[in-house]
Amino acid sequence: MIILDLAIETNNLKKYFGVIHAVDGIDLQIPKGSLFGVLGPNGAGKTTTIKMLSTILPPTSGDASVLGFDIKKDVLEIKKRIGVCPQELVLYPRLNARENIHLIAQMHGMSKKDYKERTDDLLGKMNLLDRSKELVKNYSGGMKRRINVLMAVIHEPELLFFDEPTAGLDPQSRRVVWDFIRDFQEKDSTIILTTHSMEEADDLSDELIIIDHGKIITQGTPDELKGKLGEGDILEFKVKEIEQRNEIIERATKLDFVQWGKSVGKHRIVLNALDGLRRVSEIMDVIKVKMEDISVRKNTLEDVFIDLTGRRLRD
Amino acid sequence: MEQIFEPKFTNQLWYLTVKNFKSMIREISQLVWIFGYPLVFILLFRFGYGLETFNIFAPGVVILAPIVLISQLAGHFAEEKESGTLQRLITTPVSRSTVLLSGLFSQLIVAAIQIIVMLLLILLFGVSINPNANIFLLFFIPFIVAFTSLGFGLILASFVRTASSAGGLAWFIILPLQFLGGLLTVPLVGFIPTSLAAEAMGAVMINGSIAFDLVGLNIIFIAIWGIGLIVLGILLFQRKTAIL
Repeated sequence: MIILDLAIETNNLKKYFGVIHAVDGIDLQIPKGSLFGVLGPNGAGKTTTIKMLSTILPPTSGDASVLGFDIKKDVLEIKKRIGVCPQELVLYPRLNARENIHLIAQMHGMSKKDYKERTDDLLGKMNLLDRSKELVKNYSGGMKRRINVLMAVIHEPELLFFDEPTAGLDPQSRRVVWDFIRDFQEKDSTIILTTHSMEEADDLSDELIIIDHGKIITQGTPDELKGKLGEGDILEFKVKEIEQRNEIIERATKLDFVQWGKSVGKHRIVLNALDGLRRVSEIMDVIKVKMEDISVRKNTLEDVFIDLTGRRLRD
Repeated sequence: MEQIFEPKFTNQLWYLTVKNFKSMIREISQLVWIFGYPLVFILLFRFGYGLETFNIFAPGVVILAPIVLISQLAGHFAEEKESGTLQRLITTPVSRSTVLLSGLFSQLIVAAIQIIVMLLLILLFGVSINPNANIFLLFFIPFIVAFTSLGFGLILASFVRTASSAGGLAWFIILPLQFLGGLLTVPLVGFIPTSLAAEAMGAVMINGSIAFDLVGLNIIFIAIWGIGLIVLGILLFQRKTAIL
């Protein structure tokens, strides 16, 4: 059955590798034209999900449709309509930037005139025009990352999968790629963005899921998810008294302005406190331990993850 | 703004073959290997053992050229697997078999160039070729050996994960083919592609023969080897790379 207004729909999608449940029953409905984030730590199942949806990897069980086509039966139709930017830098080192981009266009059957014009346009947007005839093996990591992105978009796909598109990029190059992704979405493409960067997910996504151990643990817009944590500020600090972490949290959460507390890793404690910045001293008086490295900030998607799992995204 | 294109198999095959060929000729070490290895033996026989011995072994030295394609092809596909480019390609509407065929085609182009260069070099270094020798057969016999090399290369590519391991393991096929087939010594085994090819090449180059039992039959047996190895290689490669 073709569902016209959904770009992706999955039903109990699973992928097992022996005893490892890489993706463990994912149900998704992603509307067309949205920029949908998939946030989770390394090994959460993000890339495996993308590989199944882009028809590279067959699912163990469950169903999924991409742009109305079944991922098991309509592989070619899906491939004609998608672009995939892999997490790794997947380029031909002994071809130049243009040749790498052209190759993907040629596989999609674009006309020479079209792909040459579009390559020029794309290279210009990524500030790569002046070195586009050099072999890619001589490029810096950031330049390779940008070519990696361009190879996914040369054929103007209806649906784009970006798997950690800015991994390892410096802040300036990351901004260039983010602007490029936003620009692309404005042309009505649907974009699926996997990332373990909360900043990236927060900044770019219209809606997102957070996944962990192959399961969706929450879904919503970035503001909705952060809103669930309450209105307070996040206080994060290090304590030496590891064995007393639970008691410290218990004492802190007895304060009416402390909404919740979590222990993260061995030494750190995260508290959500209303007007936290002004009340640090009150909290210190109550918990009766010496805080180190204290920071006070607005809550982020990372705090959403900490709240749900007790771990950091990068743990 | 999105357009759905209808890619043609022949165009995809052509563009991939060109890509493979460009990647190959832009790597100096690959060029040195393709042309340098057989050239070393030409120089060794010509200046080490003298022209008389070189005349006897020249047919085997020409057969040596397409044998190096075993490591070339295995290295090519291992590199595609290792770097993820094979996986990236199959996210586009290109079939795995088109990618595979393009790899074989680009190596066959290399084989053709290699054989022509080797034949010209042995002439340049003074080998006497029988005036009645059939020029087409001088090219065709080593060219058909290239198919068996591609078969061995595909089988090897199915099992290895990296280009460097492909290069190393290829020697376990190249050396036995080289020595058992009598390319540089007397043949020890009569039914392997290299010994069949060396015998047929010697008959054409030295004796100017086109006898069916020495040339035609050997070509048929080499072709059977080639088809068998390539079919086995394709089956193994498709199976081993089905889930990348």
